Amino acid sequence: MPRKPVSLGWGIRREGRTLWSRNSTRGKSVGNERRKRDGRIEWRQWDPSRSKVAAALLITSQKASELLPGPGDTCLYLGASSGTTVSHIHDMVCGSNNHHNGQIIAVEISPRMMRDLSSLAEDRPGLIPILTDARETPSYAPLMREKAHWIHQDLSIADQAENFITIAKSTLQAGGIGLLSLKAASERHSEGDDFSRFSSAEKLLKESELELVERIDISKFQDQHVVFVVKLLKGERTD
Amino acid sequence: MEIRFDWKLSRVVDEDGNVLDQLEWTSSHSANSLVERLSDLQSGRLTPEARILRDRFPDAVPNPLGAISDGNWPELTKEESEMLSHASLILAKRGVANAATDPDRRLDMLSSASTELRSSWTTQESRAVEWAGLFLHDLDLDGRRAEIPLCIAESENISEAAVKLGASIPEHLPTDSEWSAMNSQARGVISLSERLALNEQATRELATSHVPSLSSLIGPLGASRMVVLAGGRERLARMPSGSLQVLGASGAMAAHRRGAPPPKHSPVLFSMPLVSRSPRWVRGKIARFLAGKCSIAVRIDHFGGQTWDEDQVRAIHAQAEEIRDKFPKPKKRG
Repeated sequence: MPRKPVSLGWGIRREGRTLWSRNSTRGKSVGNERRKRDGRIEWRQWDPSRSKVAAALLITSQKASELLPGPGDTCLYLGASSGTTVSHIHDMVCGSNNHHNGQIIAVEISPRMMRDLSSLAEDRPGLIPILTDARETPSYAPLMREKAHWIHQDLSIADQAENFITIAKSTLQAGGIGLLSLKAASERHSEGDDFSRFSSAEKLLKESELELVERIDISKFQDQHVVFVVKLLKGERTD
Repeated sequence: MEIRFDWKLSRVVDEDGNVLDQLEWTSSHSANSLVERLSDLQSGRLTPEARILRDRFPDAVPNPLGAISDGNWPELTKEESEMLSHASLILAKRGVANAATDPDRRLDMLSSASTELRSSWTTQESRAVEWAGLFLHDLDLDGRRAEIPLCIAESENISEAAVKLGASIPEHLPTDSEWSAMNSQARGVISLSERLALNEQATRELATSHVPSLSSLIGPLGASRMVVLAGGRERLARMPSGSLQVLGASGAMAAHRRGAPPPKHSPVLFSMPLVSRSPRWVRGKIARFLAGKCSIAVRIDHFGGQTWDEDQVRAIHAQAEEIRDKFPKPKKRG
């Protein structure tokens, strides 16, 4: 029985338990995800077990559209890896041939991953791949056209929450949304079990200038992972 | 007063937000020159315009985050956005290509390949030897072990191999296809040894130039293992020597966290005769001493110090032997 699709914003929809993004490179998949046609539009399946953002969208208790950037926004994606999630964000923020005029700064430190990410960027104008350390904000900030509306940090480093707070404070605009994917296994071994690591990250976020909106446990799709959703209230608007 | 800049525009702005001066990049809007610009920005350097402004206003502090924080920063035109996309793509691809210039990555390939070759050599060699032993019932498997794969590989049939190895002609013969498989197994072992030799030669050369002091202290193969385990020379140089002492002993360290006694040394240090040939009760002391020296050596190599010469290395080895001689008997338990 086909379910009626529910729109989660431009270019993104949910059908039952599956998520789809409006393919901006028609006829092409990024990995080997399914594609399907609906009239003139082609949709690409967004797999929650390969993308933490997709998992968070399916599990969140607020409106899923509150977690996403809109068309034409400026986005900062730290730890872009080979670009699976980035491609879906690009589908909605830039659209085919970047007709929304969005900008996605995709930072990745590993040349092996950048190999795939840069070939993705060839077909997707508006996607700016940068090979650098995500903690080095000055190395990518001058390439951003403005402070970001939306940030996602997905890094395998220790002190993920501290880094996220520092980066978000300097690169997120007022009212902007930040997503932090926290991987328990990346924190130092000596610092307690998974649960206490998530809690100490939560405490840090609460004490910071960011407003913690939601803590989403995505362990159903990805082991030992939690996604924190934050908002930046203070700071001047740039648009 | 600060200098705000992005890849295109640089501005001097005072405390009240007034623009005192600004310069825009206008000359030759070519993709290549933009790539160089972005490369400068990514390595923390200023654009030429920002540098000129810094000279004009020595009190102004460059702020790489200034431009995105500035509400009055001009927007990019469509052409400029496309240019930026294009240039950043070229730069990212260049970065991918430049990964090949990194000796740490090259050493990683060599050293990891070497580990894999060695482990497959061990299993395949012992299979070849056991296989030969099944048919050649009176062959001395231990005494002539080293010759067995080569003799099997270079013989036409099992009887010829028996003669070469000084064993009696087997009573029960393998079938022709069985012999072919056995022979090809032996040839595989020979080719693995050759590949391993080539690989280790290349590893030695690279390690001797990348970490010369560490290589002369613990041998180039051990030195390259350490660099690879640490995830690069810089990381190794920044490690405390206690970490270096147990580098690679991850299983033992995990057991230690659960209450077992700490490991005395890593497999890398243990592979040195100074450690493995010493009595058990001094191995930890010698490993600790050597780890300290290794950490000095790799710091010399990484931060551009004077490479250790043979005499210095010999003196260190002599000191390690002194430690061994100082403790001829195990500590009495009491």
